[in-house]
Amino acid sequence: MFSWTTIDLLLAGVAALIAMLVALHADLTRARGGKILAFIALFLLPVIALGAGLSRQMEQSKSTQFCLSCHVMEDYGKSLFVDDKGYIPAAHYQNNRVPREQACYTCHSDYTMYGGVTAKLRGLRHVYIQYLGKIPKPEEIKLYSPFNNRECLHCHNGARSFTEATPHHKTPDLLDKMMSNEKSCMSSKCHDTIHDVDTLADAKIWKAEH
Amino acid sequence: MVSPQIEKRIRWSGLLVSSGLAVQVLTMAWSHPLSFMAFLVIGCPLMLAGVVLFLASLVSK
Repeated sequence: MFSWTTIDLLLAGVAALIAMLVALHADLTRARGGKILAFIALFLLPVIALGAGLSRQMEQSKSTQFCLSCHVMEDYGKSLFVDDKGYIPAAHYQNNRVPREQACYTCHSDYTMYGGVTAKLRGLRHVYIQYLGKIPKPEEIKLYSPFNNRECLHCHNGARSFTEATPHHKTPDLLDKMMSNEKSCMSSKCHDTIHDVDTLADAKIWKAEH
Repeated sequence: MVSPQIEKRIRWSGLLVSSGLAVQVLTMAWSHPLSFMAFLVIGCPLMLAGVVLFLASLVSK
């Protein structure tokens, strides 16, 4: 019926109105009922609304639309629509292997205890660079560290299509090496076509029906 | 008896909290890095300042 965003908006709106009422009629606090109202309006509701707002903002910041808001990321967004299953992000996005509404965040956050926090801190740095720093060209953007297989294995580990794939058994210890990140999925010339934004000009683009 | 000084603080607290909440309402309606920053840099401090001022008014003479 109501989405969480609507509920948060209503909560914040009502809390703002009650706080304004207390601000305009501070003399209400002379009575016991007014004191209780002030406590609710100036402590309880703002704290709840702040928590809900933070949670909502964090959720919104995971969205693909949010990540692609910056002009420099446009090509990365376009690479999700390349009509070539060799492009790893495109194949994942188009086949719903990652949730489309959180495509960037799903692959680019570390699946560790503080992975989400690290991703947010990096995000803050990106915002700083976008508005106050020197914006790099799309093809100059690099990962902070080599892509860890852990992020791929978070979903693929245990999947039949992964464990039984013939190329993954080229050597007897290949799977173990992949599990321990000794052999990278992406930089071992196996799945090495990632966003490749410098090749997009010649790429065929998939036109989604919806 | 509530002193005028406390009422003044409560008035300021209400204004800060309602401004912070207004910023929150505006930023939640727009999914963009700038709205995220506005919430963090403007909305949260305004709201926290209002709450702290209210709590301070409770313990002040």
